[in-house]
Amino acid sequence: MRRQSTELALGAVALLVFLFFPLAGAGDYWIYTVTIGFYYALLAASWSLLVGYVGRISFAQAAMAGLGAYVSVLSARHLGWPVAAGIAAAVLVTGLLGLFVGWLSLRMHGAYLGLTTIAFGEILRIAVTAEHWLTRGSLGLEAPELIAGGSRTAYYYAFLCVLILSLAAMWMLLRSRIGLFFQAIREDEDGAASVGVDVTFWKVVAFAISTAFAGLAGALYAHFVGLIAPSMMSLQEMGFVLAMAVVGGFANILHAALGGVLLQVVLESLREFGEWRLALFGLVAMLMLRFAPDGLFGRLVGAIAKERQ
Amino acid sequence: MSSLALVEQLANGAVIGVFYALAALGLSIIFGVLRVVNFAHGELYMLGGYAYYLLAAISGVPPVFAIVGAGAAIFVLGVVIERLLVEPVYSGKVDRPDEYAIMITFALAVFLQNLALALFGPWPQRPSPLFRGRVEIGELIISGDRLAAAGVGVVLIVALLIFIRWSSPGKAIRAVAMDRETAEVLGIHAERTSRLAFGLGAALAGAAGALIGPVFTVTPTMGVIPVVKAYIVVVLGGLGSIPGAIVGALILGEVETLATVLIPDTSRALAYKDAYGLVVLVLVLLLRPQGLFGMAGRRA
Repeated sequence: MRRQSTELALGAVALLVFLFFPLAGAGDYWIYTVTIGFYYALLAASWSLLVGYVGRISFAQAAMAGLGAYVSVLSARHLGWPVAAGIAAAVLVTGLLGLFVGWLSLRMHGAYLGLTTIAFGEILRIAVTAEHWLTRGSLGLEAPELIAGGSRTAYYYAFLCVLILSLAAMWMLLRSRIGLFFQAIREDEDGAASVGVDVTFWKVVAFAISTAFAGLAGALYAHFVGLIAPSMMSLQEMGFVLAMAVVGGFANILHAALGGVLLQVVLESLREFGEWRLALFGLVAMLMLRFAPDGLFGRLVGAIAKERQ
Repeated sequence: MSSLALVEQLANGAVIGVFYALAALGLSIIFGVLRVVNFAHGELYMLGGYAYYLLAAISGVPPVFAIVGAGAAIFVLGVVIERLLVEPVYSGKVDRPDEYAIMITFALAVFLQNLALALFGPWPQRPSPLFRGRVEIGELIISGDRLAAAGVGVVLIVALLIFIRWSSPGKAIRAVAMDRETAEVLGIHAERTSRLAFGLGAALAGAAGALIGPVFTVTPTMGVIPVVKAYIVVVLGGLGSIPGAIVGALILGEVETLATVLIPDTSRALAYKDAYGLVVLVLVLLLRPQGLFGMAGRRA
């Protein structure tokens, strides 16, 4: 109980911080940085839903986000759709692909599952790069704006709003019986099946939910930043997402999301260190996995909850 | 296409297959003994390339010794990695060991790749190869550096096979891969064997990188695509099977080369070159997850 109320307190504090952050005179540069942080937060949270709660490893998250971005931008450029419709299409397409990949990988576990998701992610990235008549390949694609003439602050709050709604949706799902199904599947698939959990259905659906949120994040990112390239689908990007979720705490969507924002801010703050920052992230992620698997925020909440007892 | 060109392509495919085989064998040994898929294998391959570069280009060591040196250096690195990161899987220090092993080797890959990027910069290096020039066998022309590298690769593979089959540590590796507990009961030191296996697997990847580096240039991201190929080969051949890895490597080398040639739209075909192997991977995982030579039921 102490722990749960501490978790809620963490969420409330984070919410307040992010709501008032732009008003505290942060400046456009940092507002932009934290908005990008929200993109990674949504990616990390949706990844942690799949890996942390359902226990299904996936390395395709970044690729799915990129797919969402391309679907949204291409439907705007080639079909003339409004941005909102493009984003909806992105969510639909990535969700459907997630259903497909989830179904294909039903009987795979652990490293084989990881390899399959790497394969899919890479196939997507290669296809996007190769079909340059459609996507302009590595040159990248320009995206129409989400908010016509919007300021950095406007985008910040728009992204924050979507992030909060997404986290809320995920949280409600995880609190429900479905969340229990997910955790049962993670702990003991056969045991879960034996007590009547439709393991097949929920494994596939979980994958689709995770990828749909990734697609949403990618589409929003596209219409915010204005330029997308296949590099956003790379395994390097996937490495960031993993590091962010692990450092935040990959078994909890809020922790993972906060990890995303935190690492993005740290990444920007340490700009002058160049490539060393990324090596540092990898190192910290390894240390976390080895010594503190519940992540920074997991430790924090644990420590505070203990103090309060 | 002419039969000469076809034979040339087949030869190229076989040459590439040797390098895939070296990297894949390392992965296979690591999986066989430790039951861990090493997602950082590509970075060990890459560091082998850099070790060769540092020895051959910077320190002026003759190429053959540089290759041996690179292999030895990555062997040591492999042992250190096993001791620090992988050993906890067996000593019960982590919950959810399978997930842990996957994520920590992936994080290691991120760390090593960016470390190399930070230390060496993104610019490709081209240390001197073993042999320059072209080799002509009748009317067939193959680039000499590739052939020489493949030749050394074959020597290493044969040496490995001999080691695994006839030496004591090699037998220990096979025993622990077959049944860790029984091997321990029979007095084999599983922990030490695990360390050796990881070091050996790493050394093979490092040697492959050292051999290929001069041919295709050494960059921090050179390991990313080959490692996916190594996974494909290992899954195709059967995770943990050594003959499987060799056969799988040759098949993949040929599939890639031939698919590129046989698809009419050349620029597209080339761009998708890396995707053919991925499709093979997914098909194998779906239809015959144990691979060609693996035993049914043995899975990652």
